[in-house]
Amino acid sequence: MKALIQKDVYVLWKQMKIFIIVMLVIMAGNGSFGSVFVVIWCAMLPYTALAYDERCKWDQLAAMMPYSPRDLVLSKYVLGWLCAGAAGVLVLAAQAVIRVLPLPLETSSPLAVLISFCASVCTLAITLPLMFRFGVERGRMGMFLMIFLVCGGAGALAAIVDPGGAPVPGNMAALLSMAAVLAPIAAAVLTAVSIPLSLRICAARR
Amino acid sequence: MNAIELNHIHKSFGSFAVQDLSLAVPSGTICGLVGENGAGKSTTIRLLMGALRPDSGTAAVLGTDVSSPAFTAVKEDVGVVLDEAYFPETLNALQVGKILASTYRQWEPSAYDGYLNRFGLPEKKPFKDFSRGMKMKLAIAAALSHRPKLLVLDEATSGLDPIVRDEVLEIFNEFTREEDHSILISSHIVSDLEKLCDYIAFLHQGRLLFCEEKDRLVEDCGVFTGTAEQAESLLPEAVIGREAKDYGGVRALVRRSLVPESLALERPTVEEIILFIVKGEETR
Repeated sequence: MKALIQKDVYVLWKQMKIFIIVMLVIMAGNGSFGSVFVVIWCAMLPYTALAYDERCKWDQLAAMMPYSPRDLVLSKYVLGWLCAGAAGVLVLAAQAVIRVLPLPLETSSPLAVLISFCASVCTLAITLPLMFRFGVERGRMGMFLMIFLVCGGAGALAAIVDPGGAPVPGNMAALLSMAAVLAPIAAAVLTAVSIPLSLRICAARR
Repeated sequence: MNAIELNHIHKSFGSFAVQDLSLAVPSGTICGLVGENGAGKSTTIRLLMGALRPDSGTAAVLGTDVSSPAFTAVKEDVGVVLDEAYFPETLNALQVGKILASTYRQWEPSAYDGYLNRFGLPEKKPFKDFSRGMKMKLAIAAALSHRPKLLVLDEATSGLDPIVRDEVLEIFNEFTREEDHSILISSHIVSDLEKLCDYIAFLHQGRLLFCEEKDRLVEDCGVFTGTAEQAESLLPEAVIGREAKDYGGVRALVRRSLVPESLALERPTVEEIILFIVKGEETR
């Protein structure tokens, strides 16, 4: 598994250097929406890695190397979690810097970052089986639908949690707390369904 | 022990099927898999490496059933080179080495560096800027650097110029100097296989037409050249395949044991044997 993630990180690294700068710009200028969006966006990096794999037919070679089918599938999930987690940590660190200095930029709640991380995990859980089943090109249609939903969701979430905006109504705050409890559960449940489904899809392709 | 064993493998893809494929490659030998485009060579290799699941039949590599979970560990002992390198294009040779060091427990960085030097491969040049020959050399270096006992090579020498091809064949020869090292190599370049192999297996339209010791195959057959009347006088079962020549002449591949000893026969090449067999199949 380590080797597979290492490969994907090498493949993505060049792109990541530019990506990190873009992330910081989006984060700094857009408060909660930017933070939420960046975390979810990072979770989609495995699709780029999958696209590279497809282009060079890596899966054909990997199937003949000492990687178990489970590792081949799981590595993409783990990569997504790592990317989303790293983005979450980066967002929290950037928010801390903005608050400490203090800079005249919008900040977001750590709760929003937690919920957005869970949303990333949900997004991966829903879209990765599609990618494994239909390939990146066609699976992207599903991904775009998810992005559309996620952007809408991120906007709605930002409207609820943005401390710089209008005062958060009591029922909205309650909704946020509920989302903070429900999002990890949804992420866990969807992932528990998604991984076996992806494994079955990949096994059927053989 | 057999390094590779395929027993009555059947795999259908709708319009194409590998049918009743049985093949055994004894440990310590080199077996060449020959066949036209689309004959099923790559499919056979994917089946024996567990990358494809057969509809029926069994496959074993280095004594382990490829459908068993234990086969993942056995792949440590198998070096694979496919018809292209199949590493992501943005990687360089150094990164490929690091990834494979995390993949194979027996990875030998010094051996890998040695092959990179020997092949003159740059360490930091992205893979996408490599020529086809360089990509294949990198794949060969990677396959040889984790102390494999079996090499599975699918068109590994195609795209290499004759000098490099010769060098690579020499490396494969070196590899089989160890008693328990074996190679299965598929190639269109029959002359390469003739130089290298102990056994020749010939696949045609998804069926294995023969798998024979190369020397025996060549010794058992002969090429008859004569008139059509002379050819007609031969036993039908003695003729494997025939072709018409200019001025009413005939060339035929025959079984030496079934023709009179007095008949002058040329020693065939493996390529001639294969071509005659295909012609024989087509006329049947």
